Amino acid sequence: MTKKTKVIVELTRRDFLTVVGASLASVVAAQFLTTGPLSPFSKLKQKQLEGAAETGHGAATGPFHWGMVINLDTCIGCEYCLRSCSAVNDVAVVKPWNIVVEEKNSAGNTFYFSRPCLHCQNAPCVEVCPVRATYHRDDGLVVMDYDRCIGCRYCQIACPYDARTFNWEKRADINPYVPTYGTPEVDRRPRGVVEKCTFCIHRIDKALNSGKVPGEDPEASPACVSICPVGARVFGNLNDPESRISTIIAENPTIRLREDLGAEPSVYYIPPKEGL
Amino acid sequence: MTAVTEPQKSPTFSIGLLAWFVFIGTLLAIGLFSAIRVFIKGLALTNMYDSVPWGLWITIDLASIALGAGAFTLSAIVYIFGLKRFQPLVRIAVFIGFVGYTAALLILVMDIGRPDRFWHPWAYWNVHSVLWEITWCISIYLVIMILEFLPVITENKFFDRMKWARELAQVLHKSAPLFAVLGLGISLLHQSSLGAAYGIVKSRPIWFKPSMPIMFILSAIAVGPALTMTVTLIVEWITGKRLVSHDLLRTVARFSAFGLLIYGYIKFWDLAAVSYYGRLPSVSQALHTLNQQTPYNFAFWIGEILLGIVIPVILFLVPRFNRNPGMLALGGILAVAGILINRWNVTVSGLFVPLAYSPGTQYVLPVGSYFPNLIEWGVALGIIGYALAMITLGVKYLPLFGAKEHSS
Repeated sequence: MTKKTKVIVELTRRDFLTVVGASLASVVAAQFLTTGPLSPFSKLKQKQLEGAAETGHGAATGPFHWGMVINLDTCIGCEYCLRSCSAVNDVAVVKPWNIVVEEKNSAGNTFYFSRPCLHCQNAPCVEVCPVRATYHRDDGLVVMDYDRCIGCRYCQIACPYDARTFNWEKRADINPYVPTYGTPEVDRRPRGVVEKCTFCIHRIDKALNSGKVPGEDPEASPACVSICPVGARVFGNLNDPESRISTIIAENPTIRLREDLGAEPSVYYIPPKEGL
Repeated sequence: MTAVTEPQKSPTFSIGLLAWFVFIGTLLAIGLFSAIRVFIKGLALTNMYDSVPWGLWITIDLASIALGAGAFTLSAIVYIFGLKRFQPLVRIAVFIGFVGYTAALLILVMDIGRPDRFWHPWAYWNVHSVLWEITWCISIYLVIMILEFLPVITENKFFDRMKWARELAQVLHKSAPLFAVLGLGISLLHQSSLGAAYGIVKSRPIWFKPSMPIMFILSAIAVGPALTMTVTLIVEWITGKRLVSHDLLRTVARFSAFGLLIYGYIKFWDLAAVSYYGRLPSVSQALHTLNQQTPYNFAFWIGEILLGIVIPVILFLVPRFNRNPGMLALGGILAVAGILINRWNVTVSGLFVPLAYSPGTQYVLPVGSYFPNLIEWGVALGIIGYALAMITLGVKYLPLFGAKEHSS
């Protein structure tokens, strides 16, 4: 048997006062640390109180938030968006950035479902990249740094929308969509990196330098938007309530893909008139 | 204080040993050949493709890190929980851990598209990324293991004249508890993060659950020490020397069995919550597809549960079996196979399920399919050859089973 020892705790007045004092001090300190100006969390708290939506790790903090509306009701499935994208960005034909799929809605009618990168504001690919090779610009676009990517392909696995392709080998294909009178605007990506749609950032950035408005001027808009023969795609600044895209979203019923995942895509769809 | 070293006999080469080295050499040659082909031509040579971008190599990577977990588990048992009688197993455990982690890093370098940029995670941080955290933890833990192991290397008579080396070893050995604490923290972080790497991916219905990191870490803690025990037994048979008391090995086996039972318990509730009670449409659909088109269920019940948990637990716990070293080793091998099957099943099954990005429409992406081709197996054989070569050389030239405290 083990010997039992009685433990006697003696509490002096000094101890009592210390404990009470410490408790009071921590209650006061807690207030300051959680809400006061000293608190590292005050900004977060303020945001929560204001009800501002969490928009991922530093997405769209600037004056622009580029987005796209794709009208499934007007799309005729010509695949011009796919081809112009391929020609401008020199994308391999077998692995397009901009995918067009023939679909049937519940009424049995055919419609065409096209899908670029959706440029999510809570982009899973941005979160998982171990080297920040894919990141948010302050205009909300999710872009790749091909010089930094190590080719681990985690982003490909994390992307819910199948928007990413990997360069399994050095490309040697001749791109049939590039017209004989011109050259692609973007270099080919090297072997061993992941690539994706950029909303044609090279056009947007050039346009902003020369005072043009992306979404209004064709050469300042993504290739797929400029070429669409029926105007099914509209591009513009979602942050500006006066822009054409914002008006269209305000006036039409729109959906985004897999809202339940909370990825907050920047691409909105207007469903076919008889529904999906 | 003078350092005492065992006089080491120069290794004698028997026919058996020669055959063994030829075998390892063949594996290494196959691996090297395959690796060079992949470095020249790119990952297009593998059977991986855009829908299933991770495959055999990631499975081996995950498994060898999990199997290296014996290192931190036994170090923690000895240096943190103070169970000194496990001391004789710490060196071999840390050595196997080192082999496992370096094997994982080797195959990771094969698997990434740009091996020349392997150092980028150290230079360009994304603190939100689980994979970034894993890379950092693995690198740090590798350094810890090297520091833990350096004193053993300095016992070699090569260092007899270098007094400073022995003094350094003494300092390092004194800080073993510190390394054990650091190693425990870092290992708990990254072993579970390997599961989290799957568990956080919300686009993949069968991965996205909070039990993922817990199952990964529990299986690693359970099976890592079992591998240490198994390797010890096999080395005993080959060298014909009793290295460690079998009582001790039996205790390790029992520990491993209880670990496996806890792992199985979590797996049971995971199964109940996900497929029996949960029945979320996306998950049900995914499991249905997998059961229809892949041997997912077979691999789960037979490979992971029966071979990987039930049989090893019986062999480790029932006195009739665990008194027999052969049965202990068999149990260890089955448990290791269970880990391999589990990591494979998790990885490829999660990727086979087609992404559902447009609910309500009728078009569905095709179900993925993947089986490694020759070149992937070739690299895998090379990695196995590397592990066998390291263990053989370690057993031959290093005092891995020192029961006594060294340089005391």
